[in-house]
Parts: sequence; C-alpha cells; structure tokens
Amino acid sequence: MELTKNMIMLNQHYDIKEDAIRAAGKLLVDNGCVEPDYVDAMLKRNEDVSTYIGNFIAIPHGTGEAKKYIKKTGISLIQIPKGVEFSEDKSSSKLATIVFGIAALNNEHLDVLSQIALFCNKVENVAKLADAQTEQEVIDLLKEVA
Amino acid sequence: MSQENIAVEQVTAKKKSSIKTKVQRFGTALSGMIMPNISAIIAWGFLTALFMVPGGWFPNSHIAELINPMLHYLLPLLIGYVGGRMVDDERGAVIGAIATTGVIVGAKVPMFLGAMIMGPFGGWCIKKFDQLFLDKIKAGFEMIYKNFSAGIIGMILAIIGQSIVNPLVVGGSNLAAKGVAWIISVHLLPLANIFIEPAKVLFLNNAVGNGILVPLGIQQAGQLGKSILFLLESNPGPGLGILLAFCLYGKGSSKSSAPGSVIIHFLGGVHEIYFPYILMKPVLIIPAILAGVSGTFTFQLLGAGLKAAASPGSIIAILLMTPKGGYVANISGVLIATVVSFVFSALILKHDKSMDDDLETKQEQVQQMKAEAKGLKTAASSAAFSDKINQIIFACDAGMGSSAMGASLLRDKLKKAGITNIPVTNVAVRDLKPEPNLLVVTQKELTDRAIEKTPDATHVSVGNFMNSPRYDEIVQMLQEDMSKSDLNETNSKVDKSVSALFSDIDFSRVHEVSFVCEPQNIGSTTMAANLFNSELKKVEINLVAKQVTLEEVQDSPEQLLITTISLEKKLRNQVSKAQIIAVDNLLNNEDLQKLILYLK
Repeated sequence: MELTKNMIMLNQHYDIKEDAIRAAGKLLVDNGCVEPDYVDAMLKRNEDVSTYIGNFIAIPHGTGEAKKYIKKTGISLIQIPKGVEFSEDKSSSKLATIVFGIAALNNEHLDVLSQIALFCNKVENVAKLADAQTEQEVIDLLKEVA
Repeated sequence: MSQENIAVEQVTAKKKSSIKTKVQRFGTALSGMIMPNISAIIAWGFLTALFMVPGGWFPNSHIAELINPMLHYLLPLLIGYVGGRMVDDERGAVIGAIATTGVIVGAKVPMFLGAMIMGPFGGWCIKKFDQLFLDKIKAGFEMIYKNFSAGIIGMILAIIGQSIVNPLVVGGSNLAAKGVAWIISVHLLPLANIFIEPAKVLFLNNAVGNGILVPLGIQQAGQLGKSILFLLESNPGPGLGILLAFCLYGKGSSKSSAPGSVIIHFLGGVHEIYFPYILMKPVLIIPAILAGVSGTFTFQLLGAGLKAAASPGSIIAILLMTPKGGYVANISGVLIATVVSFVFSALILKHDKSMDDDLETKQEQVQQMKAEAKGLKTAASSAAFSDKINQIIFACDAGMGSSAMGASLLRDKLKKAGITNIPVTNVAVRDLKPEPNLLVVTQKELTDRAIEKTPDATHVSVGNFMNSPRYDEIVQMLQEDMSKSDLNETNSKVDKSVSALFSDIDFSRVHEVSFVCEPQNIGSTTMAANLFNSELKKVEINLVAKQVTLEEVQDSPEQLLITTISLEKKLRNQVSKAQIIAVDNLLNNEDLQKLILYLK
C-alpha cells in the first residue's frame, strides 16, 4: 500500500491535539478505511499511551481491540505548520507538525511505516514535510527513502 | 494448556545440559504438542465410542464417516501445527502443518509420530532460514519474502515427509507389528506387551490391535469360542493405573485433567487420552509395560478371553464380550494391570525431582526479575549482556504503529553498524512471549507490562521510539564497543569563542526572540523555534522564541529576529530597530546553539 493524495491534508490548524487526532481519523473514515468508532479508539489510545513519537511526529492509531472497526489498511497525513501540542505537562513540549493516522490490518502497513520512520528519523526531513506545499510533494518526499 | 509451551521455553532458556533435563525437555516438548490438542482427541474419541460401525454404542454410518478423516488428517495436522508453533510461532505452525501433510499422505496408520517429527522440524527450518535471510531483506519486501520463503520451504518439506519420513515411520510400525506376531508365534504371550505398550503410546495402537491381534484373535475365537489376543491391547488397566497415579500425585494441569481422563479412558475406551501423560514423562512407559505384562500373564494363567474384539477398549465393551464364566479371569487381569501400573507410576511421580526443579527455576526467575528491574533504573547497559542477545523485539500497545517504526530505525542502525545476525521485530505487548536471549524495547508506560510477560528478557525502556539515544547505546553494546564517552559529548561542549555572527548584537536589550520565515516555511520554522525553546529551557533561560512570517514581524528594539540568509535582505529592508541574525539553516544549527550561551 502507499500514501495517496486524498489521504493527505495540508496546512491545517488545531488548538488541541484531540482535534488533530479526530481530523486524522476522519480522513481514514472518509476514505473507507475505518468505521467512525475507530476514531474514538484513537483518542482513547492516545490518552493511555501518547502516540507522539518524537521529531514532531504523532501517529495516532486505535487500540488492539478496535481492530474490528478497521475495514482496510490506510495511513492518513495531516500537516500542521503551526504545530499542535501533544504534551500533557507544560514543562516539556511535544509539538507535532505532522500527524499520521494509522489503521492497519495484517501488517500491510509496515512497509509504509518503515519508510516513514526512516525518513522522519532526521528532523530536517520532517521539516521538509512540514513545509510541503502540495500533496504530491509529500508523496515524493516519502518515496525518496524507498 | 499453554503452560506446557511456556515450560518448554523456560527449560530451553536455562540451557542446562544434563541428560536428565534433556529427557525432560524432550518429554515436555512431546506433550506440548499433544496437550493443546486433547480436546480434538476427545471429540474424535467420543465419535468413535458412540457411533462407530460396528462396535459403537449407537452405530451410525453417516456420522461414522467423520472418524477416519479426523484420525488420519485432523489430529496429525493439529499436532504438526502446534509442534511448528512451539519452535517458530505462527510461521512455524503453518510450515509444520504443510510438512505434516507430507507424512500423512499415503500412510495407512495415523501419522501421529510423523507429525511429532515434521511439525517441530518444519518450524525449525523456517526459523533458521529467517535467521539467515530476514534481516537482509529490503524494507517493503518483507511480505513477499515471508510468503514465498515459507511456501517454498513448505513444499520441499512436504516432499521430504512423503518420500523419506513416511516410509521410516511406516517401517517402524511394521517392525512393532512383526515383533508382536513373532512373540505370539513362540508362545511368550505376556512379553508381547513389551512391544504393545510403547507402540500404543506412539498412537500405533490401532495398527497393532486391529492389524495383528484382532485377525489372529478372530481365528482363535473361531476355534475355541474365545481368544486372549483380544485382551492384549484393549486392556484398560495399564492406562487406568497411570491416570489414577496422576490424580493423586500429578501436578499442575496434568493433575487437574487426570480425573476426567480416567472416565474417558476407562468407560469410554478411548486409550489415546492417556498417551500424552506418558509422553510428558516418558519413564512412565516402564509401569505401562510392567502392567501390560502382568495383566496378560494373569489372563493367561486364569484362561481369560473375549468372544470378539472389544473396540473401543472400554471396560464396558470388555464385559459385554466376556463369555459366560470368564468374568473373574477377565476382571482380575484388568485389575492386576491397574494395580501394578498405579503402584509403579505413583512411585515415579512421588519421587519426581522435576517438581523441585520447577520451584528452583521459579525462584531463579524471581531473582532475575528483581535484578532486571534494578538494572532498568540505572541504565540498560551492562557489559556482559551483548553476547547474550540474539533477538530484539519492539513492543507497543497494539503492535501497529510506534513499535514498527522503532524497529525499522534500530534495524537500520544495526545494519549500518554491521550487525546483521540479530533480527529486530515488533509485536503488541500482549503477544510478547518469553524467549531466550531476548531484548525487549518498550515505551516507559508499557515497560512494566513487558517485564510481566517476559521476565527473563533484558528490557530497555525508551521515552519515544523515534529518536531515543538508547538505540545508539544498544548498537554500541552489541558491538561490544563500550566507549560510551563520545555519546554525551555531542551537544554539550560549545566553546564560547566570539562568533563573528553575534559580534554586533547587543544582547542586553533582547527580550523577545522570533524566527522569521516566508509563509511556505511555517512548518519547519515552527519546529526550529520549538527545538530552540527546549534548548533554552535546558539552561533555564526565561525566553520563548516564536515563529512569525515576514508580514507579522514587529519592529522594536527588544526584538531579536532569527532568519535564513536568503531572507535576510528582505527583512533588513523591512525593519530598522530590531536586531537580526541570519543563518543558513534554522534547524540543528551550531550557531544557534552558541547563541543560547550568549542569551544567558
């Protein structure tokens, strides 16, 4: 599987992380990857264990039990140039500029995720994603590492 | 029933090499394959006892069609599947089942023995294959590699099973049959049980019973009206004694399941139910043989016999087939076999040291767990551990996202460091399984749960999966290159030599810092400002840098504007009071690190 244009939303702005997660989830719903209930599971999972993974990246996804809401594997991308704070406490910042919504069946997503991980390991690369002006640019950037 | 599986792995983990533990390991492995499938054996046993034509309690030829396919295909395949899974999880399980098909096809006897060979062998093959090749597969091709490697290996194993293992097992069971036939021909009937009992335990009971004893018995019964040969294999005494011993002196699941097995075995006549108990503790074959021999000896002494075959070998079937006046002889034989088998089995089980071993291993585990927990708090590093680790698993809550990314990163780092013999995989925490020489990486929040699941493993706890300094530590430890000093140097040492960049900046008037960018770079600039802020926080400077676009810039003396060289000219034209620093790159810039020292 690969990232497609209709799974990408650029230049979004959110005040709270929940809205960002909902937006990433809604893209998954709109593209027929998950049922709306999955979005709630994404929110819950982020409350249990933060899905912020560092380098300005968050990868909200559902809990194991929520797999039943997944219809097909999909990854959505929300670009938030101004960032949204994923940290619970004020003293440390967990700002996310790129949010990947993930719905996965049978590990079909692992190759894409692996690409994302290798690419986003360098903060300069995340910066490129955060600055991308078109969906195609995002897709091309992530393809580079493949 | 997973207890047995865990037991197997614990034992492997300990790597004790004494013969006793090896035998125990073998026994646990065998029963590990059978125990999870007991329910399938019971389903088949009930079908046989109730509906077999002829001989069942309610003969029904339609339902009886289930009996043979279940015995010949379902049960061996399940055993092969579980056997493969013991060695290499799902992947091994599938290969194990494929390989088992090879030994099933064309065999006239139920291929339990073949399944117990091919299942684990299949799992072992794919495990070795993965160890050699999995880490050399380019990202994105894992799926195709996995499916095709398993498919091709499965095909080869099925052929090997069919052409090599199958004839060996068939030959073995023929040998047992010939042995029994020979003993009967030389009139040493009780000794036949020396062959019969082991053959039964390896699920060759039908081959021996129906293949040799019943045909010979029918001949004899035709002449004398009864035959002792019908009793040799169907005598439930040896099995009953062993099961009763387990009821009293067994432990764990073997003890709790024994009473139910007694009923299925003794009344239902499904002898298969007690075979796993012997496989679990192979030395129990001795009480079984002794009991078989003394039972048959009693039968012979008292002139026992049956009118026809008692199939299944239930006490009820035996009594139904007993000729008038033969009850005392037949019941005595069963009874004596039961007593002999019970006494010797009880002796073995009572003096069984492995119970203490279990306790010891448990205690060792607890100690290890404690040590591990302590080690966690200090640092995951210990010089001794690098040569122990041969597998790294990333565990997260769902096994979907973060752990997969972390695994990719570490895999990449290991590859770059030239370490290719250690597989890095990811799972959900709840799917973690104890395995020897395992390193488990988890997010802080999940480390406790991971330790619960895999107490013997080495645990590394990370704050975030993407850029944890722990990865470099792991790589370093694995390289046995313990010069950790250079790790800490990277960002702390910044010399305070006067940088030309800042020479004309008056830091005393700076009260606000802004990162200036064009609208298309808001994202990266936000990130740069955020990183800058966290650096500021580290040295406890009470300033917060923010991101602004060119149009939003406020021109005031207390402003320090940071921007890129390409934007510097535009910005200087736009402002007159604010001070400006221009660098070639806002992210990860050394000059900006130095700037922090000046701001202090």
